[in-house]
Amino acid sequence: MARWEPLGMSVTPVLDLRGIEKSYGSVKVLHDVCFTAYPGEVTALVGDNGAGKTTLVKCIGGIHPHDRGEYRFEGRPARVGNPRDAAALGIEIVHQDLALCENLDIVQNLFLGRERRRGLTLDEAAMEALAAETLSGLSVRTMGSVRQRISNLSGGQRQTVAIARAVLWDSRLVVLDEPAAALGVAQTQQVLELVRRLADRGLAVVLISHNMNDVFAVSDRIAALYLGRMVAQVRTADVTHRQVVELITSGTGGGLGLRR
Amino acid sequence: MKGGPSQEDIRRHNLGTLLRFVHLRGPASRATLAESLGLNRSTIMALTADLTAAGLVREELPRKPGRRAGRPSLVVRPESTRVYVLAFDVGVDRLVVARVGLGGEIMDRREGTRDRDAEPGELVGALAAAARSLVRKAGPAAVCVGAAAAFPGIVRRADDTIMFGPNLDMGEMSLGDTLSRRLGLGLTVSICNDADLGALAEHERGAGVGCDNLIYLHGDVGVGGGIIVGGRLLGGEQGFGGEIGHMVVNPGGRLCSCGSKGCLEAEVGERTLLAHAEREEGAHPDGRAAVRAVVDAADRGDIVAREALHRVGTWLGLGVANLVNIFNPGLVVFGGTLRDVYLGSAAQVRSMLATGALAAPREKVRLRTAELGDDSTLVGAAEFAFAEVLADPVQVLARLRAPENTPVS
Repeated sequence: MARWEPLGMSVTPVLDLRGIEKSYGSVKVLHDVCFTAYPGEVTALVGDNGAGKTTLVKCIGGIHPHDRGEYRFEGRPARVGNPRDAAALGIEIVHQDLALCENLDIVQNLFLGRERRRGLTLDEAAMEALAAETLSGLSVRTMGSVRQRISNLSGGQRQTVAIARAVLWDSRLVVLDEPAAALGVAQTQQVLELVRRLADRGLAVVLISHNMNDVFAVSDRIAALYLGRMVAQVRTADVTHRQVVELITSGTGGGLGLRR
Repeated sequence: MKGGPSQEDIRRHNLGTLLRFVHLRGPASRATLAESLGLNRSTIMALTADLTAAGLVREELPRKPGRRAGRPSLVVRPESTRVYVLAFDVGVDRLVVARVGLGGEIMDRREGTRDRDAEPGELVGALAAAARSLVRKAGPAAVCVGAAAAFPGIVRRADDTIMFGPNLDMGEMSLGDTLSRRLGLGLTVSICNDADLGALAEHERGAGVGCDNLIYLHGDVGVGGGIIVGGRLLGGEQGFGGEIGHMVVNPGGRLCSCGSKGCLEAEVGERTLLAHAEREEGAHPDGRAAVRAVVDAADRGDIVAREALHRVGTWLGLGVANLVNIFNPGLVVFGGTLRDVYLGSAAQVRSMLATGALAAPREKVRLRTAELGDDSTLVGAAEFAFAEVLADPVQVLARLRAPENTPVS
């Protein structure tokens, strides 16, 4: 297995955004935002409601392309004009609503739109084996059969399937939008540990969360947005809970953030 | 003048290394083994032949066609159903006995609860009964190659004597000897500190694979610690080392069961968390379930539970900051109930670490939860029990298979 040196500055970031600006009509949502995500690290994206987190994610995923600024992926300039461009680069976004099909089973969901074929028919056996292998590679033991329908799964298990989809397609960057928002405690812990394991496999993970405990439990870096501006991107080990809360609520705190 | 190692020593060492590789990393082809162990392919063949003859591994054709051209290399698999150890996890409220096959798979397990004021005799009886039923289920063809128990207390390494177990009093009884006698398998049951075994398990199979400097913190009723430095468990002069739970973090603080005041265990242990959260002692649920209920309540917005976790997180963070300063670990792993406590108070723990530890050692330290979950200590006991057979596979197995030692059942 490859060993990663996650916190070294010499590592090329997977995603490197510089001076990103985005307006919806006359409303300017993102002002000159810089954001980086490194391989093997979890970068937490925090900010109050309306700070621009979701907009930034939509820019990353090409759902709403940015207006101005530089988008670099693995060190090279990239053009992401639509979600397909993002998928081609290896960016997987797990949305809050997960975008899973309730009436299909786990294997069908994992391969949705990208099914394996053998001649004229689908190669069900290969897909099933690959799905089981991916889930066990993530140390997911609680799932049971991979032929269960999504509608029979709990919230945490659904989240796991959505995350496994990212692993299956060899993504380089996974963005998780509030993965623990609707989960119970035990399931939240499972998902947090899964997030950590993704990063340990060398992926760059971006985690959006409002829960400071979750952010501090799994992240290596914290990026704080305040009213559409990136006020700080710091190492989790260097900041305290209070500083991050101040950054979120006032855009400044403990010598970090905006100058007054 | 002492010469170099003899042929026999080298062979024994190579056999052990090969067995250890497939035990920890899973089935591997002869080609992979040759590459990873740096041995000649014909040496690998001779070694696997010996191990196969001893019934420790078997060779078979790979299940999937390989990517390389030519004749596929045979895959060496550990005989997990035929060679096993017994692992005991003696918790304050919870007992687990498992049959763990070579290769590390938990083949079968028995779990039970324990009353906090139960007699030591009952404890041994329950453990022995569960173990005997596991041995029966394994069948006559399988061979038990070791047994070890994780115990929440201070254990002398030289003779496995429990010196101090404040949360689980064994009285005068020698747990290892009694259990060995009751099992009647011709094996000694080793007794080890639970957190030390947890550290071993996480280092070999869990969150700490590839990290040779790690600290494992285990929460049961008390708090234990296992420290791995340079890939080895830090035991100290008599094996008592790593009692992180009795590091004083708050001089003049809460009274600890060891008689001192303000130990880490006294400030972050189960009783303290429940007291801060205003949960009654002895109420239902208790033990791990009660700790989890507090974390659950905090997550749902219970202010009292949140405050309790915040207070506990402060001391836990301070303790971790001290450890980071002294040992410069690459990884700190939270296991047992501390796994839940850490996830519920991570912000506070990190804050204390950021303000309390030196910048240089804190820069690279990672805080993680135990990947093996509640089984860390159990897996550690199994790994400890396997140590003997991995050191000298063929000899140990020959001794155990000798007819006079066959268990009569």
